[in-house]
Amino acid sequence: MHSTNRFKSLIRQGTSMISLIRSEIYKISKQSKTLYAIAAILIIEGFVIMSAYYQGAGIIDLLLDNLKDSFEFRGNLLNGNLIIYLILNSLWFHIPLILMIIISGFLTSEYKDKTIETVMLQPVNKFYFILSKYIVSIAFTLLIVLILAVSTFFISYWIFGYGDLVVYLDGLNFFKSDDAFYRLINAFLSGSITMIFFSVVSLTLAVVLKDATKTWIVAAIFLICSNLLLKIDFNNDIINELFFSKLTDSWQYFFYYEIPYSTIYFKNLLLLGYSVLVMIIGILIFKRRDIQ
Amino acid sequence: MILEARNINKSYGSLEVLKNVTIECHKGNIYGLIGANGAGKTTLFRILLGLIKQDTGTIAIDSDGIKPIGGIVEKPALYGYLSAYGNLKVFAQIQKLKLTKELFNQSMNQVGLSPERSDAVKNYSLGMKQRLGLAIALLNNPDCIVLDEPFSGLDPMGISALHKLIKKLSNEHQITIIISSHIVSELADLCDILYVLNDGEIIKSGSAMRLLKENVATYKIVGKNLELSEVLKDADAIFLNNSVLVSLKNINISEVLQKLVEEGVEVTSCIPQTDLKALFGRERV
Repeated sequence: MHSTNRFKSLIRQGTSMISLIRSEIYKISKQSKTLYAIAAILIIEGFVIMSAYYQGAGIIDLLLDNLKDSFEFRGNLLNGNLIIYLILNSLWFHIPLILMIIISGFLTSEYKDKTIETVMLQPVNKFYFILSKYIVSIAFTLLIVLILAVSTFFISYWIFGYGDLVVYLDGLNFFKSDDAFYRLINAFLSGSITMIFFSVVSLTLAVVLKDATKTWIVAAIFLICSNLLLKIDFNNDIINELFFSKLTDSWQYFFYYEIPYSTIYFKNLLLLGYSVLVMIIGILIFKRRDIQ
Repeated sequence: MILEARNINKSYGSLEVLKNVTIECHKGNIYGLIGANGAGKTTLFRILLGLIKQDTGTIAIDSDGIKPIGGIVEKPALYGYLSAYGNLKVFAQIQKLKLTKELFNQSMNQVGLSPERSDAVKNYSLGMKQRLGLAIALLNNPDCIVLDEPFSGLDPMGISALHKLIKKLSNEHQITIIISSHIVSELADLCDILYVLNDGEIIKSGSAMRLLKENVATYKIVGKNLELSEVLKDADAIFLNNSVLVSLKNINISEVLQKLVEEGVEVTSCIPQTDLKALFGRERV
């Protein structure tokens, strides 16, 4: 009897979550800012492609100038794989910034318009409500990265064709076209975990700050500081390996000649752990706070 | 009793917003919470609706329904980019209620809105938003509705329509309604029971009719040739355009009216004026 009641309660909780998630998806699909986010990403992509189209050959020549004396280059290095790699680098700043602005807005707009009060006046559990926001934010992040990746691969190969990839990472690394495709796909997958971390942080900032402008400023500062801290050597192995900002570059590791899979797995798992921790902090703060 | 809030206290830092507030509400009645701005009305409503937590005190709601209490705090907060259907869909969905076409039409008709309108709610007037907010509050048939300053910003037509709607909900659906306002005239005809909140404390409560009657200090008499009346001059009346304000300190209003008729003054109306200072304060008239 007791276990039956528990089972029924679990079913009830599950349907509550699904209802909340569906309503969040419905709201996002009807908001114009969702389209702005997608448009912003496509514009960034367009700019990279356009500048590569007009200036790419010159930059490649400049990059390989010294090597041309010693090596013979065959084929076109300004190809789709290089363009995809260039666009992939927007995961450093542009994409997480756009994601942080849009995702924090999922909550700050509810505070601004006071719709969060109307939501909480219905028989809705605060925990499930904020958890559904986090789940939908993560799904939205994955969707944006997917749109970026699919459109990037499609447009880049269509305009610039296939070819070997040359990447400067602690020196010049060359990858065969098929190998480059594999590395780029995995880099997007790994990068999506970094994007999830920044999205979760932005939603937690929205829980804490409530105000949109304050959240945007703090989110941007967080992103800038995180990128700066990534480059700093703390002279301490624990901090250098475990501090969150040191974990956000795992997607770059796919462009070392030998891919350090164990390092990538470790960094991604730990970053997911940080994401869960930040999410728990956000949920606890939201649950404890009055709605006003 | 459907709702009982007992010994509610709430402070923000050193500021005591609510002090030992107790209110009791019975099924199907309309209750008014009246008090000057900053008296603590909205804070009490937020506590009743579960938006904020009281420091001490208890709230008991006797209801088996999915949604024991619903309401609107200050202005109705809606998703401006969604239509009325979209808003009702979102708020129905989060409480696991399927918004069928029939339920949508019923909800809209109940509050006097046209189900045909499909544009975004941001285009609606405040009165229409109030109605849609009420439709959302009524989803899942709550036993009690709390409306915070529902008449604020409405035109006279809107106020009248909302009055009728509130009366209908109370009479036909036996919903307990608690309304706050700082404008006495808005609650005078509507409420069965009044609670007067002053500086975070309930200082008076009881039948709305009795409380308002006890705190009438002047009458506004409207008529023709009022300025010629000797009775009014003797009563130290204040003359306005086609009307006078008569204080009740030393006179009886029925005697004044009788004498005015004897003097040949044509009286068209006599309206009691509630002394707000007395009603909102601790002293009696």
